[in-house]
Amino acid sequence: MKFKSALRALLGSFREQAISRATDNFFIGTLFIQPVLFTLLSVGIYRYGGKPDLSLYAVIGAGMIGIWNNNLWTSGSIVQDERRGGTLELLVAAPTSLEIVLLGKSLSNAVASILALAITFATGLLAYRLPLDIEQPLAFAGAVLLTLVAMTMLGLLLGSLFVLARAAGQLATVLNYPIFILSGLTFPLTVLPLWIRPLSYSLVSTWGNLALARAAGAVAQSSLWVTYLALAGLSVLYFILGHYLYRLIERIVRERGGLEQW
Amino acid sequence: MAAIQTIALSRVYHSKTGVIRQQKKDIRALEEVNLEVAQGELFGLLGPNGAGKTTLTKILSTILLPSSGDARVLGLDIVSQARAIRPRIGIVFGGERGLYWRLSARDTLLYFADLYHVSPEVAARRIPELLELVGLSGRHEERVENFSRGMKQRLHVARGLINDPEILFLDEPTIGLDPVAAREIRRIMKDLNQQGKTIFLTSHYMYEVDELCDRVAVLNKGEIILVDTPGALKSLVSDLEVVEIEVIGAQQDAIERLRAHEKVVSLQIEPRDLAQALLIQAPGGAALVGDFLTILSGARIQRILTRQPTLEDAYVRLVGPEAMHT
Repeated sequence: MKFKSALRALLGSFREQAISRATDNFFIGTLFIQPVLFTLLSVGIYRYGGKPDLSLYAVIGAGMIGIWNNNLWTSGSIVQDERRGGTLELLVAAPTSLEIVLLGKSLSNAVASILALAITFATGLLAYRLPLDIEQPLAFAGAVLLTLVAMTMLGLLLGSLFVLARAAGQLATVLNYPIFILSGLTFPLTVLPLWIRPLSYSLVSTWGNLALARAAGAVAQSSLWVTYLALAGLSVLYFILGHYLYRLIERIVRERGGLEQW
Repeated sequence: MAAIQTIALSRVYHSKTGVIRQQKKDIRALEEVNLEVAQGELFGLLGPNGAGKTTLTKILSTILLPSSGDARVLGLDIVSQARAIRPRIGIVFGGERGLYWRLSARDTLLYFADLYHVSPEVAARRIPELLELVGLSGRHEERVENFSRGMKQRLHVARGLINDPEILFLDEPTIGLDPVAAREIRRIMKDLNQQGKTIFLTSHYMYEVDELCDRVAVLNKGEIILVDTPGALKSLVSDLEVVEIEVIGAQQDAIERLRAHEKVVSLQIEPRDLAQALLIQAPGGAALVGDFLTILSGARIQRILTRQPTLEDAYVRLVGPEAMHT
Protein backbone atom coordinates (compact mmCIF):
# COMPACT_ATOMS: atom_id res chain seq x y z
CA MET A 1 0.00 0.00 0.00
CA LYS A 2 2.78 2.38 1.02
CA PHE A 3 4.75 1.46 -2.10
CA LYS A 4 1.67 1.94 -4.29
CA SER A 5 0.96 5.36 -2.74
CA ALA A 6 4.58 6.43 -3.18
CA LEU A 7 4.56 5.23 -6.79
CA ARG A 8 1.35 7.16 -7.51
CA ALA A 9 2.86 10.29 -5.95
CA LEU A 10 6.01 9.81 -8.04
CA LEU A 11 3.97 9.41 -11.24
CA GLY A 12 1.76 12.35 -10.27
CA SER A 13 4.87 14.52 -9.88
CA PHE A 14 6.18 13.17 -13.19
CA ARG A 15 2.91 14.18 -14.86
CA GLU A 16 2.75 17.64 -13.26
CA GLN A 17 6.29 18.37 -14.40
CA ALA A 18 5.59 17.05 -17.91
CA ILE A 19 2.49 19.24 -18.31
CA SER A 20 4.20 22.31 -16.89
CA ARG A 21 7.26 21.90 -19.14
CA ALA A 22 5.30 21.01 -22.26
CA THR A 23 3.58 24.38 -22.03
CA ASP A 24 6.77 26.33 -21.28
CA ASN A 25 8.25 28.07 -24.32
CA PHE A 26 11.76 28.26 -22.85
CA PHE A 27 11.79 24.53 -22.32
CA ILE A 28 10.46 23.82 -25.82
CA GLY A 29 13.15 26.08 -27.24
CA THR A 30 15.91 24.36 -25.29
CA LEU A 31 14.63 20.90 -26.09
CA PHE A 32 14.02 21.31 -29.83
CA ILE A 33 16.08 24.17 -31.21
CA GLN A 34 19.40 23.69 -29.46
CA PRO A 35 19.98 20.04 -30.50
CA VAL A 36 19.26 20.98 -34.13
CA LEU A 37 21.78 23.82 -34.03
CA PHE A 38 24.45 21.77 -32.27
CA THR A 39 24.04 18.89 -34.73
CA LEU A 40 24.38 21.23 -37.70
CA LEU A 41 27.51 22.82 -36.21
CA SER A 42 29.23 19.73 -34.79
CA VAL A 43 28.72 17.50 -37.81
CA GLY A 44 29.67 20.41 -40.05
CA ILE A 45 32.95 20.95 -38.18
CA TYR A 46 33.99 17.28 -38.50
CA ARG A 47 32.71 16.86 -42.05
CA TYR A 48 34.33 19.96 -43.50
CA GLY A 49 37.37 19.59 -41.23
CA GLY A 50 38.34 16.38 -42.97
CA LYS A 51 37.03 13.91 -40.37
CA PRO A 52 33.67 12.77 -41.75
CA ASP A 53 34.08 9.41 -39.96
CA LEU A 54 33.38 11.23 -36.67
CA SER A 55 29.97 12.47 -37.88
CA LEU A 56 28.01 9.91 -35.85
CA TYR A 57 30.09 10.78 -32.80
CA ALA A 58 29.17 14.44 -33.38
CA VAL A 59 25.46 13.58 -33.65
CA ILE A 60 25.53 11.65 -30.36
CA GLY A 61 27.55 14.43 -28.72
CA ALA A 62 24.98 17.01 -29.84
CA GLY A 63 22.25 14.77 -28.40
CA MET A 64 24.07 14.54 -25.08
CA ILE A 65 24.45 18.34 -25.09
CA GLY A 66 20.66 18.57 -25.41
CA ILE A 67 20.19 16.01 -22.63
CA TRP A 68 22.67 17.74 -20.31
CA ASN A 69 21.27 21.19 -21.05
CA ASN A 70 17.70 20.20 -20.36
CA ASN A 71 18.57 18.54 -17.12
CA LEU A 72 20.78 21.42 -16.06
CA TRP A 73 18.05 24.02 -16.60
CA THR A 74 14.92 22.12 -15.75
CA SER A 75 15.95 19.81 -12.92
CA GLY A 76 18.27 22.43 -11.53
CA SER A 77 15.39 24.83 -11.15
CA ILE A 78 12.76 22.44 -9.74
CA VAL A 79 13.07 23.53 -6.12
CA GLN A 80 13.57 27.17 -7.09
CA ASP A 81 10.39 27.11 -9.19
CA GLU A 82 8.41 25.52 -6.37
CA ARG A 83 9.68 28.13 -3.95
CA ARG A 84 8.89 31.01 -6.32
CA GLY A 85 5.42 29.64 -7.00
CA GLY A 86 4.63 29.22 -3.31
CA THR A 87 4.10 25.47 -3.72
CA LEU A 88 7.23 24.28 -1.88
CA GLU A 89 5.61 24.67 1.52
CA LEU A 90 2.54 22.75 0.34
CA LEU A 91 4.82 19.94 -0.81
CA VAL A 92 6.56 19.91 2.57
CA ALA A 93 3.18 19.78 4.31
CA ALA A 94 1.91 16.87 2.18
CA PRO A 95 2.22 13.27 3.43
CA THR A 96 4.44 12.35 0.47
CA SER A 97 8.15 12.82 1.07
CA LEU A 98 9.61 15.79 -0.79
CA GLU A 99 12.24 13.46 -2.19
CA ILE A 100 9.65 11.31 -4.01
CA VAL A 101 8.13 14.44 -5.54
CA LEU A 102 11.48 15.70 -6.73
CA LEU A 103 12.52 12.29 -8.02
CA GLY A 104 9.32 12.15 -10.11
CA LYS A 105 10.00 15.59 -11.50
CA SER A 106 13.66 14.82 -12.27
CA LEU A 107 12.61 11.61 -14.03
CA SER A 108 10.10 13.58 -16.09
CA ASN A 109 12.82 16.01 -17.17
CA ALA A 110 15.25 13.19 -17.96
CA VAL A 111 12.68 11.35 -20.12
CA ALA A 112 11.87 14.54 -22.02
CA SER A 113 15.54 15.31 -22.49
CA ILE A 114 16.12 11.94 -24.19
CA LEU A 115 14.03 13.40 -27.03
CA ALA A 116 17.05 15.56 -27.80
CA LEU A 117 18.86 12.43 -28.98
CA ALA A 118 16.06 11.59 -31.41
CA ILE A 119 16.11 15.18 -32.68
CA THR A 120 19.85 15.13 -33.34
CA PHE A 121 19.60 11.85 -35.25
CA ALA A 122 16.73 13.26 -37.29
CA THR A 123 18.72 16.44 -38.00
CA GLY A 124 21.77 14.40 -39.06
CA LEU A 125 19.60 12.38 -41.39
CA LEU A 126 17.77 15.33 -42.93
CA ALA A 127 20.62 17.86 -43.12
CA TYR A 128 23.63 15.63 -43.84
CA ARG A 129 21.94 12.40 -45.02
CA LEU A 130 23.69 10.52 -42.22
CA PRO A 131 22.32 6.97 -42.03
CA LEU A 132 20.86 5.85 -38.69
CA ASP A 133 23.38 3.09 -38.50
CA ILE A 134 23.46 1.84 -34.90
CA GLU A 135 25.88 -1.06 -34.64
CA GLN A 136 24.40 -2.67 -31.50
CA PRO A 137 20.77 -1.54 -31.15
CA LEU A 138 20.13 -3.44 -27.92
CA ALA A 139 23.29 -2.16 -26.28
CA PHE A 140 22.36 1.32 -27.48
CA ALA A 141 18.90 1.00 -25.88
CA GLY A 142 20.63 -0.11 -22.67
CA ALA A 143 22.92 2.92 -22.82
CA VAL A 144 19.89 5.23 -23.30
CA LEU A 145 18.17 3.65 -20.31
CA LEU A 146 21.19 3.94 -18.04
CA THR A 147 21.78 7.52 -19.18
CA LEU A 148 18.15 8.27 -18.34
CA VAL A 149 18.55 6.90 -14.81
CA ALA A 150 21.85 8.73 -14.34
CA MET A 151 20.30 11.99 -15.55
CA THR A 152 17.38 11.55 -13.12
CA MET A 153 19.81 11.21 -10.23
CA LEU A 154 21.81 14.14 -11.55
CA GLY A 155 18.57 16.15 -11.55
CA LEU A 156 17.99 15.26 -7.92
CA LEU A 157 21.50 16.41 -7.05
CA LEU A 158 21.41 19.58 -9.17
CA GLY A 159 18.10 20.65 -7.69
CA SER A 160 19.53 20.66 -4.19
CA LEU A 161 22.86 22.16 -5.18
CA PHE A 162 21.10 25.02 -6.91
CA VAL A 163 19.00 25.78 -3.87
CA LEU A 164 22.06 25.79 -1.67
CA ALA A 165 23.99 27.88 -4.20
CA ARG A 166 21.23 30.52 -4.29
CA ALA A 167 22.12 32.02 -7.71
CA ALA A 168 20.81 29.10 -9.74
CA GLY A 169 20.62 30.87 -13.10
CA GLN A 170 24.20 32.10 -12.98
CA LEU A 171 25.47 28.72 -11.82
CA ALA A 172 23.67 26.98 -14.68
CA THR A 173 25.24 29.40 -17.17
CA VAL A 174 28.69 28.83 -15.68
CA LEU A 175 28.31 25.04 -15.79
CA ASN A 176 26.79 24.85 -19.25
CA TYR A 177 29.68 25.04 -21.74
CA PRO A 178 32.57 23.70 -19.60
CA ILE A 179 30.62 20.45 -19.16
CA PHE A 180 30.24 20.08 -22.96
CA ILE A 181 34.01 20.17 -23.26
CA LEU A 182 34.84 18.24 -20.09
CA SER A 183 32.47 15.42 -21.06
CA GLY A 184 33.85 15.13 -24.58
CA LEU A 185 30.56 16.08 -26.16
CA THR A 186 32.08 18.37 -28.76
CA PHE A 187 35.62 16.93 -29.03
CA PRO A 188 36.90 13.50 -27.99
CA LEU A 189 38.26 13.26 -24.44
CA THR A 190 41.69 12.40 -25.84
CA VAL A 191 42.24 16.04 -26.80
CA LEU A 192 41.92 17.07 -23.14
CA PRO A 193 45.03 17.22 -20.93
CA LEU A 194 45.54 14.17 -18.75
CA TRP A 195 45.28 16.06 -15.45
CA ILE A 196 41.74 17.19 -16.16
CA ARG A 197 40.37 13.81 -17.23
CA PRO A 198 39.55 12.54 -13.69
CA LEU A 199 37.06 15.39 -13.50
CA SER A 200 35.60 14.28 -16.83
CA TYR A 201 35.20 10.75 -15.53
CA SER A 202 33.19 11.93 -12.53
CA LEU A 203 30.44 13.20 -14.84
CA VAL A 204 27.53 11.08 -16.03
CA SER A 205 27.42 13.08 -19.25
CA THR A 206 30.92 11.71 -20.11
CA TRP A 207 29.90 8.10 -19.51
CA GLY A 208 26.50 8.50 -21.15
CA ASN A 209 28.19 9.88 -24.24
CA LEU A 210 30.80 7.10 -24.29
CA ALA A 211 28.17 4.39 -23.78
CA LEU A 212 26.00 5.73 -26.59
CA ALA A 213 28.94 6.30 -28.94
CA ARG A 214 30.44 2.86 -28.32
CA ALA A 215 27.10 1.07 -28.73
CA ALA A 216 26.42 2.99 -31.95
CA GLY A 217 29.88 2.19 -33.29
CA ALA A 218 30.74 5.86 -33.56
CA VAL A 219 34.10 5.33 -31.88
CA ALA A 220 36.56 2.46 -31.72
CA GLN A 221 35.10 -0.47 -29.81
CA SER A 222 36.15 -0.98 -26.26
CA SER A 223 34.29 -2.44 -23.33
CA LEU A 224 30.71 -1.21 -23.06
CA TRP A 225 30.40 -2.77 -19.63
CA VAL A 226 32.83 -0.25 -18.20
CA THR A 227 30.55 2.58 -19.34
CA TYR A 228 27.46 0.80 -18.01
CA LEU A 229 29.11 0.21 -14.63
CA ALA A 230 30.33 3.78 -14.45
CA LEU A 231 26.82 5.09 -15.21
CA ALA A 232 25.27 2.80 -12.60
CA GLY A 233 27.92 3.65 -10.01
CA LEU A 234 27.64 7.39 -10.53
CA SER A 235 23.82 7.11 -10.40
CA VAL A 236 24.07 5.50 -6.97
CA LEU A 237 26.57 8.11 -5.82
CA TYR A 238 24.42 11.01 -7.09
CA PHE A 239 21.34 9.45 -5.48
CA ILE A 240 23.05 9.17 -2.09
CA LEU A 241 24.32 12.76 -2.27
CA GLY A 242 20.93 14.02 -3.54
CA HIS A 243 19.12 12.08 -0.81
CA TYR A 244 21.14 13.73 1.95
CA LEU A 245 20.93 17.16 0.41
CA TYR A 246 17.13 16.91 0.07
CA ARG A 247 16.83 15.78 3.67
CA LEU A 248 18.83 18.88 4.54
CA ILE A 249 16.52 21.07 2.46
CA GLU A 250 13.41 19.57 4.07
CA ARG A 251 14.83 20.33 7.51
CA ILE A 252 15.92 23.83 6.53
CA VAL A 253 12.47 24.61 5.11
CA ARG A 254 10.89 23.67 8.44
CA GLU A 255 13.54 25.38 10.53
CA ARG A 256 13.94 28.62 8.63
CA GLY A 257 10.55 28.94 7.04
CA GLY A 258 9.95 28.63 3.32
CA LEU A 259 13.57 29.11 2.31
CA GLU A 260 12.94 32.85 2.12
CA GLN A 261 16.22 33.52 3.81
CA TRP A 262 18.45 31.82 1.24
CA MET B 1 -9.15 15.49 23.06
CA ALA B 2 -8.63 19.00 21.71
CA ALA B 3 -8.20 19.38 17.98
CA ILE B 4 -5.36 21.83 18.53
CA GLN B 5 -3.40 22.57 21.67
CA THR B 6 -0.34 24.74 22.15
CA ILE B 7 1.66 25.21 25.32
CA ALA B 8 4.13 28.11 25.58
CA LEU B 9 4.75 27.92 21.86
CA SER B 10 7.43 30.34 20.67
CA ARG B 11 9.14 30.98 17.39
CA VAL B 12 12.20 33.10 16.69
CA TYR B 13 13.44 33.99 13.20
CA HIS B 14 17.12 34.73 12.78
CA SER B 15 18.13 37.37 10.26
CA LYS B 16 21.31 39.20 9.33
CA THR B 17 21.82 42.88 8.72
CA GLY B 18 24.68 44.68 6.97
CA VAL B 19 27.04 43.46 4.28
CA ILE B 20 30.62 43.61 5.52
CA ARG B 21 29.97 43.75 9.24
CA GLN B 22 27.06 41.39 9.43
CA GLN B 23 25.03 41.43 12.57
CA LYS B 24 22.63 38.73 13.62
CA LYS B 25 19.19 39.78 14.67
CA ASP B 26 16.52 37.69 16.34
CA ILE B 27 12.88 38.39 15.55
CA ARG B 28 10.42 36.91 18.00
CA ALA B 29 7.38 36.02 15.88
CA LEU B 30 5.52 34.05 18.57
CA GLU B 31 5.85 34.43 22.33
CA GLU B 32 4.63 31.69 24.67
CA VAL B 33 1.36 31.06 22.85
CA ASN B 34 -1.20 28.96 24.75
CA LEU B 35 -4.29 27.93 22.82
CA GLU B 36 -6.85 25.17 22.77
CA VAL B 37 -9.27 24.59 19.91
CA ALA B 38 -12.06 22.02 20.33
CA GLN B 39 -12.99 19.50 17.66
CA GLY B 40 -15.67 20.83 15.33
CA GLU B 41 -14.99 24.42 16.35
CA LEU B 42 -14.61 27.30 13.91
CA PHE B 43 -11.80 29.19 15.56
CA GLY B 44 -10.61 32.61 14.41
CA LEU B 45 -7.20 34.13 14.87
CA LEU B 46 -7.13 37.89 14.52
CA GLY B 47 -4.13 40.15 14.40
CA PRO B 48 -2.47 42.95 12.46
CA ASN B 49 0.19 42.26 9.82
CA GLY B 50 3.31 40.80 11.39
CA ALA B 51 1.44 39.67 14.51
CA GLY B 52 2.49 36.06 13.92
CA LYS B 53 -0.74 34.62 12.46
CA THR B 54 0.90 32.95 9.47
CA THR B 55 3.80 31.69 11.58
CA LEU B 56 1.37 30.03 14.00
CA THR B 57 -0.62 28.51 11.12
CA LYS B 58 2.56 27.17 9.51
CA ILE B 59 3.76 25.62 12.76
CA LEU B 60 0.41 23.94 13.41
CA SER B 61 0.27 22.63 9.84
CA THR B 62 3.81 21.12 10.22
CA ILE B 63 5.46 23.45 7.71
CA LEU B 64 7.57 25.24 10.31
CA LEU B 65 9.25 24.04 13.47
CA PRO B 66 8.75 25.98 16.70
CA SER B 67 11.76 27.36 18.54
CA SER B 68 10.37 26.22 21.90
CA GLY B 69 7.16 25.03 23.52
CA ASP B 70 4.78 22.25 22.51
CA ALA B 71 1.94 21.91 20.09
CA ARG B 72 -0.35 18.99 19.44
CA VAL B 73 -2.74 18.60 16.52
CA LEU B 74 -5.35 15.84 16.88
CA GLY B 75 -3.36 14.70 19.89
CA LEU B 76 -0.15 14.29 17.88
CA ASP B 77 3.08 16.19 18.46
CA ILE B 78 3.79 18.55 15.55
CA VAL B 79 7.56 17.97 15.68
CA SER B 80 7.97 14.23 16.21
CA GLN B 81 4.66 13.06 14.67
CA ALA B 82 4.38 15.46 11.73
CA ARG B 83 4.05 12.61 9.23
CA ALA B 84 1.02 11.23 11.06
CA ILE B 85 -0.63 14.67 11.21
CA ARG B 86 -0.22 15.59 7.53
CA PRO B 87 -2.76 13.18 5.97
CA ARG B 88 -5.40 14.41 8.47
CA ILE B 89 -5.18 18.17 7.92
CA GLY B 90 -5.68 20.57 5.03
CA ILE B 91 -4.00 23.94 4.45
CA VAL B 92 -5.26 26.90 2.43
CA PHE B 93 -3.24 30.07 2.06
CA GLY B 94 -4.69 33.28 0.70
CA GLY B 95 -3.40 34.93 -2.47
CA GLU B 96 -2.50 33.71 -5.91
CA ARG B 97 0.62 31.72 -5.03
CA GLY B 98 0.58 28.05 -4.18
CA LEU B 99 -0.92 26.74 -7.41
CA TYR B 100 0.60 25.25 -10.55
CA TRP B 101 -0.55 27.78 -13.11
CA ARG B 102 -0.12 25.55 -16.14
CA LEU B 103 -2.28 22.75 -14.74
CA SER B 104 -6.05 22.69 -15.06
CA ALA B 105 -8.23 22.77 -11.94
CA ARG B 106 -8.91 19.05 -12.32
CA ASP B 107 -5.22 18.18 -12.83
CA THR B 108 -4.33 20.25 -9.76
CA LEU B 109 -6.73 18.24 -7.63
CA LEU B 110 -5.58 14.96 -9.18
CA TYR B 111 -1.97 15.83 -8.38
CA PHE B 112 -2.68 16.69 -4.75
CA ALA B 113 -4.83 13.56 -4.44
CA ASP B 114 -1.70 11.58 -5.37
CA LEU B 115 0.43 13.55 -2.91
CA TYR B 116 -2.11 12.94 -0.14
CA HIS B 117 -2.33 9.21 -0.94
CA VAL B 118 -6.01 9.41 -1.85
CA SER B 119 -6.89 6.23 -3.76
CA PRO B 120 -7.80 6.69 -7.45
CA GLU B 121 -11.35 5.43 -6.77
CA VAL B 122 -11.93 7.94 -3.99
CA ALA B 123 -10.27 10.74 -6.00
CA ALA B 124 -12.51 9.99 -9.00
CA ARG B 125 -15.57 10.49 -6.81
CA ARG B 126 -14.28 13.34 -4.64
CA ILE B 127 -12.79 15.65 -7.30
CA PRO B 128 -16.12 16.36 -9.08
CA GLU B 129 -17.75 16.86 -5.66
CA LEU B 130 -15.11 19.40 -4.63
CA LEU B 131 -15.29 21.21 -7.96
CA GLU B 132 -19.05 21.41 -7.47
CA LEU B 133 -18.63 22.65 -3.88
CA VAL B 134 -16.37 25.53 -4.93
CA GLY B 135 -18.32 26.31 -8.11
CA LEU B 136 -15.64 25.35 -10.63
CA SER B 137 -17.45 22.43 -12.24
CA GLY B 138 -17.78 23.98 -15.67
CA ARG B 139 -14.23 25.34 -15.71
CA HIS B 140 -12.30 22.31 -14.53
CA GLU B 141 -10.42 21.75 -17.78
CA GLU B 142 -9.13 25.34 -17.98
CA ARG B 143 -5.59 26.19 -16.94
CA VAL B 144 -5.27 27.91 -13.58
CA GLU B 145 -3.38 30.82 -15.19
CA ASN B 146 -6.64 31.88 -16.85
CA PHE B 147 -8.57 31.93 -13.56
CA SER B 148 -9.66 35.08 -11.75
CA ARG B 149 -8.32 35.65 -8.26
CA GLY B 150 -11.59 34.43 -6.75
CA MET B 151 -11.52 31.24 -8.81
CA LYS B 152 -7.93 30.57 -7.76
CA GLN B 153 -8.90 31.02 -4.14
CA ARG B 154 -11.82 28.62 -4.52
CA LEU B 155 -9.46 26.11 -6.11
CA HIS B 156 -7.14 26.57 -3.11
CA VAL B 157 -10.04 25.59 -0.85
CA ALA B 158 -10.84 22.53 -2.96
CA ARG B 159 -7.16 21.53 -2.90
CA GLY B 160 -7.11 21.87 0.87
CA LEU B 161 -10.05 19.48 1.09
CA ILE B 162 -8.74 16.78 -1.24
CA ASN B 163 -7.86 14.45 1.66
CA ASP B 164 -11.15 15.11 3.49
CA PRO B 165 -9.20 16.62 6.42
CA GLU B 166 -10.39 16.66 9.99
CA ILE B 167 -8.90 20.13 10.48
CA LEU B 168 -8.71 22.81 7.83
CA PHE B 169 -6.21 25.65 8.31
CA LEU B 170 -7.17 28.76 6.38
CA ASP B 171 -4.70 31.63 6.37
CA GLU B 172 -6.45 34.82 5.21
CA PRO B 173 -8.48 32.95 2.59
CA THR B 174 -10.45 35.99 1.46
CA ILE B 175 -7.57 38.46 1.22
CA GLY B 176 -7.80 40.58 -1.91
CA LEU B 177 -11.08 39.06 -3.05
CA ASP B 178 -14.05 41.08 -4.22
CA PRO B 179 -17.07 41.02 -1.87
CA VAL B 180 -18.98 38.40 -3.89
CA ALA B 181 -16.02 36.01 -4.08
CA ALA B 182 -15.25 36.54 -0.37
CA ARG B 183 -18.87 35.80 0.54
CA GLU B 184 -18.68 32.58 -1.47
CA ILE B 185 -15.57 31.47 0.44
CA ARG B 186 -17.31 32.28 3.74
CA ARG B 187 -20.31 30.20 2.69
CA ILE B 188 -18.02 27.26 1.96
CA MET B 189 -16.34 27.65 5.37
CA LYS B 190 -19.72 27.65 7.11
CA ASP B 191 -20.86 24.55 5.21
CA LEU B 192 -17.66 22.69 6.04
CA ASN B 193 -17.95 23.57 9.71
CA GLN B 194 -21.54 22.36 9.74
CA GLN B 195 -20.28 19.07 8.34
CA GLY B 196 -18.18 18.74 11.50
CA LYS B 197 -14.80 19.92 10.32
CA THR B 198 -12.62 21.91 12.69
CA ILE B 199 -11.63 25.18 11.04
CA PHE B 200 -8.71 27.33 12.11
CA LEU B 201 -9.10 30.66 10.35
CA THR B 202 -6.75 33.62 10.39
CA SER B 203 -8.16 36.87 9.15
CA HIS B 204 -7.80 40.60 9.00
CA TYR B 205 -11.49 41.08 8.51
CA MET B 206 -13.52 41.50 11.68
CA TYR B 207 -16.92 41.01 10.08
CA GLU B 208 -15.69 37.70 8.69
CA VAL B 209 -14.62 36.48 12.11
CA ASP B 210 -17.76 37.94 13.68
CA GLU B 211 -19.97 36.15 11.17
CA LEU B 212 -18.22 32.79 11.22
CA CYS B 213 -16.29 32.04 14.37
CA ASP B 214 -17.35 30.31 17.57
CA ARG B 215 -14.34 31.75 19.37
CA VAL B 216 -11.60 34.14 18.48
CA ALA B 217 -8.05 34.77 19.67
CA VAL B 218 -6.37 38.13 19.25
CA LEU B 219 -2.67 37.92 18.49
CA ASN B 220 -0.52 41.01 18.77
CA LYS B 221 3.28 41.14 18.44
CA GLY B 222 3.43 37.36 18.80
CA GLU B 223 1.38 37.21 21.99
CA ILE B 224 -2.18 36.05 22.52
CA ILE B 225 -3.88 38.90 24.31
CA LEU B 226 -7.41 37.52 24.44
CA VAL B 227 -9.36 34.35 23.63
CA ASP B 228 -13.15 34.55 23.77
CA THR B 229 -16.35 34.56 21.73
CA PRO B 230 -16.86 37.42 19.25
CA GLY B 231 -19.78 38.56 21.42
CA ALA B 232 -17.60 38.71 24.54
CA LEU B 233 -14.94 40.57 22.60
CA LYS B 234 -17.52 43.12 21.49
CA SER B 235 -18.73 43.51 25.07
CA LEU B 236 -15.31 44.99 25.88
CA VAL B 237 -16.51 48.11 24.12
CA SER B 238 -20.24 47.89 24.97
CA ASP B 239 -19.93 50.99 27.15
CA LEU B 240 -18.69 52.97 24.17
CA GLU B 241 -20.22 54.57 21.12
CA VAL B 242 -18.38 55.20 17.90
CA VAL B 243 -18.59 58.60 16.22
CA GLU B 244 -17.50 58.57 12.58
CA ILE B 245 -16.66 62.00 11.19
CA GLU B 246 -15.76 62.23 7.53
CA VAL B 247 -13.71 65.38 7.12
CA ILE B 248 -11.54 67.20 4.57
CA GLY B 249 -8.65 69.42 5.69
CA ALA B 250 -8.47 68.50 9.38
CA GLN B 251 -5.30 69.99 10.89
CA GLN B 252 -2.93 67.71 12.77
CA ASP B 253 -3.20 69.78 15.96
CA ALA B 254 -7.01 69.48 15.86
CA ILE B 255 -6.69 65.71 15.57
CA GLU B 256 -4.29 65.69 18.50
CA ARG B 257 -6.74 67.76 20.57
CA LEU B 258 -9.50 65.30 19.70
CA ARG B 259 -7.28 62.43 20.78
CA ALA B 260 -6.52 64.21 24.04
CA HIS B 261 -10.23 64.82 24.80
CA GLU B 262 -10.92 63.42 28.27
CA LYS B 263 -13.74 61.14 27.07
CA VAL B 264 -12.02 59.79 23.93
CA VAL B 265 -10.81 56.24 24.40
CA SER B 266 -9.45 55.70 20.92
CA LEU B 267 -9.16 57.63 17.66
CA GLN B 268 -8.50 55.85 14.43
CA ILE B 269 -7.99 57.57 11.06
CA GLU B 270 -9.02 55.94 7.77
CA PRO B 271 -8.31 57.51 4.36
CA ARG B 272 -11.43 57.80 2.18
CA ASP B 273 -10.63 59.29 -1.25
CA LEU B 274 -9.90 62.96 -0.62
CA ALA B 275 -11.36 62.86 2.87
CA GLN B 276 -10.36 61.25 6.16
CA ALA B 277 -12.70 59.32 8.38
CA LEU B 278 -12.07 59.88 12.08
CA LEU B 279 -13.39 56.92 14.07
CA ILE B 280 -13.71 58.08 17.64
CA GLN B 281 -14.56 55.68 20.45
CA ALA B 282 -16.00 57.33 23.55
CA PRO B 283 -18.64 56.60 26.20
CA GLY B 284 -21.81 58.52 25.29
CA GLY B 285 -20.24 59.45 21.97
CA ALA B 286 -23.40 60.98 20.47
CA ALA B 287 -23.52 63.62 23.21
CA LEU B 288 -19.94 64.65 22.42
CA VAL B 289 -20.43 65.39 18.73
CA GLY B 290 -20.77 69.13 19.48
CA ASP B 291 -17.40 69.11 21.28
CA PHE B 292 -15.74 67.27 18.43
CA LEU B 293 -17.10 69.65 15.79
CA THR B 294 -15.88 72.65 17.76
CA ILE B 295 -12.37 71.18 17.81
CA LEU B 296 -12.59 70.52 14.07
CA SER B 297 -13.92 74.00 13.20
CA GLY B 298 -12.31 75.24 10.00
CA ALA B 299 -12.26 71.81 8.40
CA ARG B 300 -14.93 70.71 5.95
CA ILE B 301 -17.22 68.13 7.57
CA GLN B 302 -18.81 65.83 5.02
CA ARG B 303 -20.67 63.31 7.14
CA ILE B 304 -21.24 62.43 10.78
CA LEU B 305 -22.70 59.26 12.15
CA THR B 306 -22.83 57.53 15.48
CA ARG B 307 -23.11 53.79 15.84
CA GLN B 308 -22.71 50.91 18.26
CA PRO B 309 -19.20 49.42 18.36
CA THR B 310 -18.36 46.44 16.19
CA LEU B 311 -15.86 43.66 16.66
CA GLU B 312 -13.37 45.83 14.79
CA ASP B 313 -13.75 48.57 17.38
CA ALA B 314 -13.10 46.05 20.14
CA TYR B 315 -10.05 44.83 18.26
CA VAL B 316 -8.75 48.40 17.83
CA ARG B 317 -9.14 48.95 21.54
CA LEU B 318 -7.14 45.79 22.24
CA VAL B 319 -4.26 46.18 19.80
CA GLY B 320 -4.22 49.99 19.48
CA PRO B 321 -5.23 52.00 16.39
CA GLU B 322 -1.64 52.10 15.05
CA ALA B 323 -1.76 48.31 14.54
CA MET B 324 -4.51 48.80 11.94
CA HIS B 325 -2.04 50.49 9.62
CA THR B 326 0.92 48.12 9.90
